[in-house]
Amino acid sequence: MAGTGDGAGEGKGAAGGGSLHRKTLLKSELLYQYILESAVFPREPDCLRELRLATTEHPMAVMAASPDQVQLFGLLIELLGAKNAIEVGVFTGYSLLATALALPDDGKVVAIDVSRESYDEVGAPVIDKAGVAHKVDFRVGLALPVLDQLVAEEGNKGRFDFAFVDADKVNFLNYHERLLQLVRVGGLIAYDNTLWGGSVAAAGPADDEALSERDRALAGLAREFNAAIAGDRRVQACQLAIADGVMLCRRVA
Amino acid sequence: MASAGGGNNGGDVLPDIHRAGDSKTLLKSNALYQYILDTTVLPQEPPCLRELRHLTDKHELALMASPADEMQLLGMLVKMIGAKNAIEVGVFTGHSLLATALALPDDGKVVAIDRDRRCYDGVGRAAVAKAGVAHKVDFREGVALDVLDQLLAADGSEGKFDFAFVDADKANYVNYHERLLRLVRVGGLVVYDNTLWGGAVAMPPGAPMSAMDRSVSAAIKVLNAFVAADPRVEACQLPVADGVTICRRTV
Repeated sequence: MAGTGDGAGEGKGAAGGGSLHRKTLLKSELLYQYILESAVFPREPDCLRELRLATTEHPMAVMAASPDQVQLFGLLIELLGAKNAIEVGVFTGYSLLATALALPDDGKVVAIDVSRESYDEVGAPVIDKAGVAHKVDFRVGLALPVLDQLVAEEGNKGRFDFAFVDADKVNFLNYHERLLQLVRVGGLIAYDNTLWGGSVAAAGPADDEALSERDRALAGLAREFNAAIAGDRRVQACQLAIADGVMLCRRVA
Repeated sequence: MASAGGGNNGGDVLPDIHRAGDSKTLLKSNALYQYILDTTVLPQEPPCLRELRHLTDKHELALMASPADEMQLLGMLVKMIGAKNAIEVGVFTGHSLLATALALPDDGKVVAIDRDRRCYDGVGRAAVAKAGVAHKVDFREGVALDVLDQLLAADGSEGKFDFAFVDADKANYVNYHERLLRLVRVGGLVVYDNTLWGGAVAMPPGAPMSAMDRSVSAAIKVLNAFVAADPRVEACQLPVADGVTICRRTV
């Protein structure tokens, strides 16, 4: 398993089968379109739209965050008065751009990915053009060692206000342990794909059978993660059925 | 408007969207919604809030009640912004009022407005007292527009509040918006309930629906469009409960 970067880690070849988690979790596509058209797109900054559209051209576009999701993150970052953020899993840099736009001018986001190829090719020019490249601190590498390095660096404990994890699910709980040291009490950690197309709610063997093997495995990981978070007294958790499921964790201890 | 939609001489009357079918959620399945409740919401729900929620569910107007996942989100937002002063427009039994009061600090206050205090007095007031947060509640009985105007007229109230939650008559939402954008500080939050109205807001223009749904969803679409175009706020619409719109005052 390669580490961060959903595609490389979770089976590139299964990209087609990943369609399960690109459809909306809402009761109709119409409803989702309404939300996008009435609440998201009218306020979407041009640069973000540009990067969103460029990302949809990418063969692994299924990995990207969704527009309503990045809009929420921008709002949360402003509500928190966040200055320092971490992003685990970058891909083209779409959610990274949204984060960078929301941070103040002297804000910084440490962006971690095992590869910077998609970022360099697609997102970096847009982020540059948007005038926020100075806020991005890109670290190439496996996320666990990079996070351990961050924890070891002087003054980093509790320095960060917001973190977004969109990477290999099998390591979510490991990332969680490190992020709980890096993010301050009162800060927020957001995890992606925590409802895995809704398959986490599979009621029994019949439902399970309708899933691909990959989806079954990932639904299992998501369930395990969700249960662990729900029992974690160091955070106040909130599961939102946006995108593919977003688990918000506010650090309380 | 006499007919209830469909226009067929009162033969089949279309049910209101919140009573139609067995879907309890905007999500694609009840099972998914129940999963979220069972795994993340109910285990964290404070017992006093659960108690009030059960009592509210028994009320004949229970359809007006807010579900547990929405209360969890509200509580998180209140804490996230470090809110101290809040406003609640529309109280009913006081379920969201209790959720807000629990999240406020000990010296926090919530001005709770409802034109009729009977549901609160009958159900919620005791729960709020038992939870030890009655001292945070400032209940104002009256027509919300009047009470909000009175609040505005009081010295020092512009920008005094950090958080407002509106769960009231939809036709007046845009009017509440104007007042709340003065009462709530820059950087503060105004949150609206029922902004997706069972999904009716997304239905194509000719879609059959009850007269009530037609008029309410029209009012909500007006609010949604207004908020989206309002340069004084940054907003986000979440498919939690019946649709929750979170507006951060930016100017």
